[in-house]
Amino acid sequence: MHESAIAKSILEIVSQRLHSIGAPATAHNVSVVFGEFRNAEPESVEFAFDNMKAFYPGAANCQLVINTISAMAQCKRAQHKYHPEASNAYRCPTCDSGIGNLLQGEELDVVNVVVELDQTE
Amino acid sequence: MHESADEHTMERILNKNDELAEHNRDHFREAMTCTVNLMSAPGAGKTSLLEATFRMAGRKFSSTVIEGDMVGELDADRIRKTGVSVHQISTGRSCHLDANMVARLLHSEKMEKTDVLFIENVGNLVCPAEFNLGEFKRVVLLSVTEGDDKPIKYPVIFRNCDLVVFTKCDLLEYVEFNLGEAEKNIQAINPDVVTMQVSSKTGYGMDKWTSWIQSQIEAYRQEQKQTKHVHQHSH
Repeated sequence: MHESAIAKSILEIVSQRLHSIGAPATAHNVSVVFGEFRNAEPESVEFAFDNMKAFYPGAANCQLVINTISAMAQCKRAQHKYHPEASNAYRCPTCDSGIGNLLQGEELDVVNVVVELDQTE
Repeated sequence: MHESADEHTMERILNKNDELAEHNRDHFREAMTCTVNLMSAPGAGKTSLLEATFRMAGRKFSSTVIEGDMVGELDADRIRKTGVSVHQISTGRSCHLDANMVARLLHSEKMEKTDVLFIENVGNLVCPAEFNLGEFKRVVLLSVTEGDDKPIKYPVIFRNCDLVVFTKCDLLEYVEFNLGEAEKNIQAINPDVVTMQVSSKTGYGMDKWTSWIQSQIEAYRQEQKQTKHVHQHSH
């Protein structure tokens, strides 16, 4: 269950952001991107996130917004751009060579954290 | 009263793990130890490969092992019997090693200065792929009893490795494992990867494997020599 470790890392980044504001604040949502060529299953990460967030001050009501990014490869032989798929053993549909560069699909990033500043007067 | 603020961050989720992996790399650099992360499904023969390596490597290179297991020290005990030093990391409920576990070990136990440090990861073809430990090279073992389709099912780990070792090759004639197909599947995902066949039981291919280790020890030393900046490591 490395998805728990991923969820924990996201919550730690949220906590750091809240701390860096230097004023009372709560996290409203955190947006992340998962590339197709990463072992991060959105539903499992979301489940772990929702079960752990209450333990992080200011994050109890934080929503996790996950965007997945399809893989895009450049083939080894002719640099054709294509979407590598398991059904085709990840080979280039044009020339049948393998993945040279992965142009996208290896992302595992926090994009932004939306916070609400508590302005009591 | 509440006010919303959009905090743009763009940060790698596993950034903390990567920072600790870099810290571990500093430890390995200080000891000039070439570190190899061994990953595979459970039962693919990681420990057997290490036992055979230590039997056959003789004085070619000195070794230390970090054993990652969820429970118990069964594998560590096997390594101890070979006379090679072994350090145990019990991961508990965790299905992989991460950089923090290795860092804690490096800070709590005195590591021998050897030519190579093998880190035997927890048996799993999914989770260990995501966690950089600070290793120099990543090796994935694929036993011929598992099936030649595994690279297609677990592309991330086969994409992010430097060498694939087909293990238990003495069983090839008894199983429906097509080596050509397995090679083809791996090359489609990782065209630059090196592959080799071994049998820890019969010793088949072990010369090639130990030669590869020796070449990596040499490559690591060369790389460190070429590193121009003087590293100042502080705890």
